[in-house]
Amino acid sequence: MYGYVRPPAGILSEEELERFRRMYCGLCHTLGQRYGTAARFILNYDFTYLAILLSGGDEGPSTAARCMVSPLKKRDYLCTTDALALAADESVILAYWQLRDGVADHDWLHGMKYRSLSAVLEPAYRKASAARPAFAESTRRQLAHLAELEAQPCALLDPPADAFASLLGAAAQEVDHPVRRRVLEQILYHLGRWIYLIDAADDLKKDAKTGSYNPVALRYGLWDGVWTPECRREFTATLDHSVHMITTALELWDFGVWTPVLESTFYTGLFHVGKSVLDGTFRSIRRGQRKKRKNGEETA
Amino acid sequence: MNDPYQVLGVPETATDEEIKRAYRELARKYHPDNYHDNPLADLAQEKMKEINAAYEQITKMRGSGGHGSGSTSSRQSSGYGGYGSYGGYGGSTYRQYGGSSSSVLQQVRIAINTGDLSRAEALLANYSDHNAEWNFLRGAVCYRRGWMDEAKRYYQTACQMDPGNAEYRQALEFMERGTQSAYHPNGTPFGTDLCGGNPCLTLCCLYSLCNGGGYVLCC
Repeated sequence: MYGYVRPPAGILSEEELERFRRMYCGLCHTLGQRYGTAARFILNYDFTYLAILLSGGDEGPSTAARCMVSPLKKRDYLCTTDALALAADESVILAYWQLRDGVADHDWLHGMKYRSLSAVLEPAYRKASAARPAFAESTRRQLAHLAELEAQPCALLDPPADAFASLLGAAAQEVDHPVRRRVLEQILYHLGRWIYLIDAADDLKKDAKTGSYNPVALRYGLWDGVWTPECRREFTATLDHSVHMITTALELWDFGVWTPVLESTFYTGLFHVGKSVLDGTFRSIRRGQRKKRKNGEETA
Repeated sequence: MNDPYQVLGVPETATDEEIKRAYRELARKYHPDNYHDNPLADLAQEKMKEINAAYEQITKMRGSGGHGSGSTSSRQSSGYGGYGSYGGYGGSTYRQYGGSSSSVLQQVRIAINTGDLSRAEALLANYSDHNAEWNFLRGAVCYRRGWMDEAKRYYQTACQMDPGNAEYRQALEFMERGTQSAYHPNGTPFGTDLCGGNPCLTLCCLYSLCNGGGYVLCC
């Protein structure tokens, strides 16, 4: 996915960020154990949230190890659980189809990156789809539907957003408890809707240049990629309705130790990211941070 | 029944004032207004019942001298019982504005109220008169499905066709007003453009080299 959902570092305590890190590393190790080193590169924050949502309210046991990223210092990470295994399997399926989508969206030359990465992930995908056939099938079906809508091209927001949202909502299929399943489905559906729409908004300028399909541009007639105040107001209202569906669902299940990170992300983080995407500052902030990190690595 | 103190998330030693505050916060969170037309409203209603019962039990216990911590106050039970009477969840949402123009659309309303959206959709698809009420009900189904933008468009059409109808106008206003009054734990406004315009947004980066923001997939 896209990295728009992330913990708001300035708001969340160091203790909670550490907890999030342990889950992030736990998912990475689980991916490595189940699918080999190559699969660990699909790891991102969105998949970590998936693992958190699918986990129970306890953190569970953790252990420490060195890894590629931290070869000297041992890092704590959560031991593999059924929930982490499920999240890892679903992450592989999502990442694989996203890469295939990248292949379909680009010409031969520009699709090379996606083609080679999806070839690397192919064995992992085969294993994951054998373990979770229903989820693999629903993901394939929804993405095929999304591709059809993009080819039309569909000038509405909700049909393509629904395809992506339903795809993510299906990640809760294997949850047994009926109330928990309903709550998770609603959170994941609207998180998917929010991610799809915010990604389209983020690509507005780029797509205006290249003439690529962009549901936000088509819906509001923003051919030059620039927001009008009226359209922006309408768009944020529809985003906020989805965030509201997420937060109201969140309050109906006890997420235990994960409550602070989920609360701060959904009640605050999504708004901050959404605003910076619409203001056009999100990409530069992220680029700046990457640069800073790279410089930090060089001087370290 | 669960321990009422646990339900309200307060220790038994909490003062009456603290209990009242905890109760008000929870009542605000699970209030019917916060779950307006929400597909999970039935779960919120259960929560609200539990909270009301817990609060009532505690005030009763304290009022009759069972627990004596904090200031004594039997009078407080009357002041906040009011939350319990809101109870406007689900059921009556559609019927209170008078009957439908047709028996099919009446069935659509019943299907929506019972959460059977597939049936509501099927009935609407087979109904050829796309009048104001049809558009309104289509909007109501869209909203519950999470198709927020389409919901608003159908409500708009319903309002254009029948500008005097209060039910349609209210639905459209709810979509347009957005979620500014939605529950937020810190009591701050709820919304993308209301989030205080943090100019130096801090995006968390866990470890360098890690694929946190999706390097491979989104660059």
